[in-house]
Amino acid sequence: MKQISDRFFGIVGLAVSALMVWRASLIQESFIQDPLGPKAFPVVIAAIMALASIAIILRPDEEPDWPVPGKLVEIGASMIVLIAYAQFLPEAGFVISTALAGAYLAWRLGSRPLEACVAGVVISIGIYLVFKKTLGLSLAGGPLDFVIDYPVDLMVSGIAAAYHSLTGSGGQ
Amino acid sequence: MDSLQSLADGFAIALTWQNLGLALIGCFLGTIIGALPGLGPSNGVAILIPLAFSLGLPATPALILLTSVYYGAMYGGRISSILLNIPGDEPALMTTLDGYPMARKGQAGEALAISGIASFVGAFFATWGLVFLAPQLVKVALLFGPAEYFALFTLAFATLGGIASRNQAKAAFAAALGLAIAMIGVDGQTGVPRFTFGEVHFYDGIDFLVAIVGLFALSEVFIFLEHGGKGDAKGETKVKLGRITPPASMLRETSGSMARGTLLGFIAGVLPGAGASLGSFIAYSFEKRLKDRNGTFGKGDPRGVAAPEAGNNAAAGGALVPMLALGVPGSGTTAVLLAMLLALNITPGPLLFQNNPDVVWGLIAALFIGNFMLLAMNIPMVGLFVRLLLIPPRYLMPAVAMISFVGIYGISGSTFDLMVMIAFGVGGWVLRKLDVPLVPVIMGVLLGDQMEKNLRRALTISDGDISTLFASPLSIGLWTLAIVGFILPLIVGRYFRPKLADTAKNEPNIGD
Amino acid sequence: MNFLAITRRAIVIGAFLAVAPLSTANAFEPGNTECIAPANAGGGWDFTCRQVAKTLQDLKLVPGTMQVTNLAGGGGGVAYAEVINKRNDDNNLIVAASSATSTRLAQGAYPGNDMTQVRWLASVGADYGVIAVAKDSDINTLPELLAKIKADPTSISVAGGSAVGGWDHLKVLLAAKKGGIDDVRTIKYVAFDGGGEAVTQLLAGSVQAFTGDASEAKGFVDSGDIKVIAVLAPERLSGDFASFPTAKEQGIDVIGANWRGFYVPGGMSDDAYNYWVDAVGKVYDSQEWKDVMASNGLAPLNLRGNDFQAFVKESVDSIQALSKEIGLIK
Repeated sequence: MKQISDRFFGIVGLAVSALMVWRASLIQESFIQDPLGPKAFPVVIAAIMALASIAIILRPDEEPDWPVPGKLVEIGASMIVLIAYAQFLPEAGFVISTALAGAYLAWRLGSRPLEACVAGVVISIGIYLVFKKTLGLSLAGGPLDFVIDYPVDLMVSGIAAAYHSLTGSGGQ
Repeated sequence: MDSLQSLADGFAIALTWQNLGLALIGCFLGTIIGALPGLGPSNGVAILIPLAFSLGLPATPALILLTSVYYGAMYGGRISSILLNIPGDEPALMTTLDGYPMARKGQAGEALAISGIASFVGAFFATWGLVFLAPQLVKVALLFGPAEYFALFTLAFATLGGIASRNQAKAAFAAALGLAIAMIGVDGQTGVPRFTFGEVHFYDGIDFLVAIVGLFALSEVFIFLEHGGKGDAKGETKVKLGRITPPASMLRETSGSMARGTLLGFIAGVLPGAGASLGSFIAYSFEKRLKDRNGTFGKGDPRGVAAPEAGNNAAAGGALVPMLALGVPGSGTTAVLLAMLLALNITPGPLLFQNNPDVVWGLIAALFIGNFMLLAMNIPMVGLFVRLLLIPPRYLMPAVAMISFVGIYGISGSTFDLMVMIAFGVGGWVLRKLDVPLVPVIMGVLLGDQMEKNLRRALTISDGDISTLFASPLSIGLWTLAIVGFILPLIVGRYFRPKLADTAKNEPNIGD
Repeated sequence: MNFLAITRRAIVIGAFLAVAPLSTANAFEPGNTECIAPANAGGGWDFTCRQVAKTLQDLKLVPGTMQVTNLAGGGGGVAYAEVINKRNDDNNLIVAASSATSTRLAQGAYPGNDMTQVRWLASVGADYGVIAVAKDSDINTLPELLAKIKADPTSISVAGGSAVGGWDHLKVLLAAKKGGIDDVRTIKYVAFDGGGEAVTQLLAGSVQAFTGDASEAKGFVDSGDIKVIAVLAPERLSGDFASFPTAKEQGIDVIGANWRGFYVPGGMSDDAYNYWVDAVGKVYDSQEWKDVMASNGLAPLNLRGNDFQAFVKESVDSIQALSKEIGLIK
């Protein structure tokens, strides 16, 4: 059957709206209650979603060109790499994990392995410089941070010293 | 005139080398922050507050720095919207609709230039509005009670029908999905958790930045992976950058859009609880409703870039009205600015203009200066920005992905948010494949919560009497506009829609 | 900065350094110190962290800089669980907290966690609650307002900046109970996103009364747009609020303090705990902090170590009792 994707999608949409109504019915009502309550709005939304799903089932669009199974594996693998990245970020530190994940993506997007490694490292250090050093956000700390921190801090304190000696202010 | 005299005094305060330098730094950092996915104006201002503190700046220079960042971020958001189809921040969402198609047609330069000029126009006139109309506008803000806000949000959703998709059912589905996501978290009106599945991380709800970055940025990365690093364009061989200056005809064509966008955006900005996203959204959908005679919107119409950009920048200026005049933040960013003002021992509120005229007028003067700086910075830099497209995707997309992760992690420090973002990325990829528009999803996430809250507030106040929703002339006006302007045409339009759809199918698919 | 100021500062720091080794004769030396703000950058906890971290740095109470980390989620619950589960013996960590933290702990909104799992360090100030009406309202005192509510609960909508069951709501309920309203559930409370929005709705005439913190109402008090009918403080506040009566004066003995302070991991050593109590105490006593408090509308609330521990315990218990009574929790 043609147009199977949209029909399937519509069925999933119906299932989601049913799930919503069910979960909404489980919302515990507290004693303090406004006239509408916490359930009404979600149920209305679920109804709209269900109507839209039915419309999609009845009038489906052309079949999209789904990727071949090999490409699905590709996307799945990247997803796993990104999940692993998210999980290891706090432990391994920002610089290392970002370089690895960036290199993997660069490689899978068509870079040669060596290029990919360079790209990963450049991306990681570049982001570190902008987000941590310029904007002062707290990124996950890791063992290799000092490799970047040390020269940058040296440079910054050098500039600061030069600035202060020029303006003659006492620092602080 | 009084205001002009005060403004002149303001310029005297703002025009020092130090303040100009701070404005320049602020504009530059702001543009970058706006362009980076995951960092928006509110985070941008928040993370630069320590910088203002550590520089030991007094009130006026500190405010100049931070508001320059704010305006800069509003400019910057459009860059990634246009070039990468990834909104740099939430108000730049609507700019993807026509900006990215323009870039795909080889008009990236024109799109950036037009949107830069539109940003300037929006911010410029909004700042004038701030000068002359602030006290009167406060009265407008006070006309909006919960019932009126509910009507306003209903109007916003009613306009959705006209946006983005050939398939209305899918647009409706997307909006419902976004609204459903907005329901996650502890319900403010009763204090009970909803759809949290017992997971404490969900209690605060899902941050819309996580949703935007996941749906747009990560799904884009997946699309590139699917096509082996080529993107989804069929036969896209060479990137054309387009002209760096827009032709005069394009400027003429878009000037009306900019004017309308500015007006609508400014009004949305003035209302606390509406904000810049709503401003750009309404600016775009009204423009499309008014001017889209040949179905060019969504396929790279410059007017579809000019209107929302003028709208969101005007809204940014408008949002300063309630912040300065009432001490009430109209957006996340002004909330942060407000905290900053308090920390500097300045109490915003009805007396601010009297008690701290130097701060207010210095700030307003700085806004003018920053705005001109941003225009001067952004137009010549268009050539530089578009060169981003020359970076091969095999380097660019990993960088986009990693920046997305860091943008989210750096603000919240939450691994859980990253996992949610990945889920949105995969979901976004599937929805794109199925031709479900993503913009309504984000609109649902952004506005759904507010829509429900205001409905329930109104009904609480009226003890459940529904007629309160149509009690004031203002709400009746908004309802009428929603129904006559947007819902009726949808129903009436049914009769000739099939014909339109057929012609759309036969056209080569340049749009999305 | 002029030379005199620098010299003065140098003397102060010098004097402090000379005394420091004597006064802090304990085994704990701070290392890489960190303050966790359990919310996104830009919120109230974030602000507490950044302000205190900055003052600690300026007073040289910590070596180098104090790192401020945002750990958002679950209304502070994510950070709370993280500290208990992963950072329980970290001696270099302090975490920002406020009455929102104790309210949520009392109502079991941090699943599986309670207040005994961390050590409560010290408060750095409080924002006392106020109840206000519009300037042209015919209500002039708190008892008048409560009498109106008692007569017809539907006639008065009270707006506040916190969710139902949150602190702004509870303050009204506490006052109402003391004022002789038995079924406080009948009170119409309308939750807005922050005190500013709630005040705006009071001005717009959508609601009849406002409950919030003194700092939220300050701008409107100065301009005369709203009328504060009660301050929920033990005695009258100083400055702009001095002319407003406390609830206690009007015969309704209720105090509503939105305190700001810190907790530390439960497994922190006594030496480290004492060090931090001392350090945050010094911040509190400093002129810098007095300025911060003044500009943020914070009133004094100086509780340290065991006193603070007891204070938090008491407020958790009373919130728990009230929440049970009105049926917010079982």
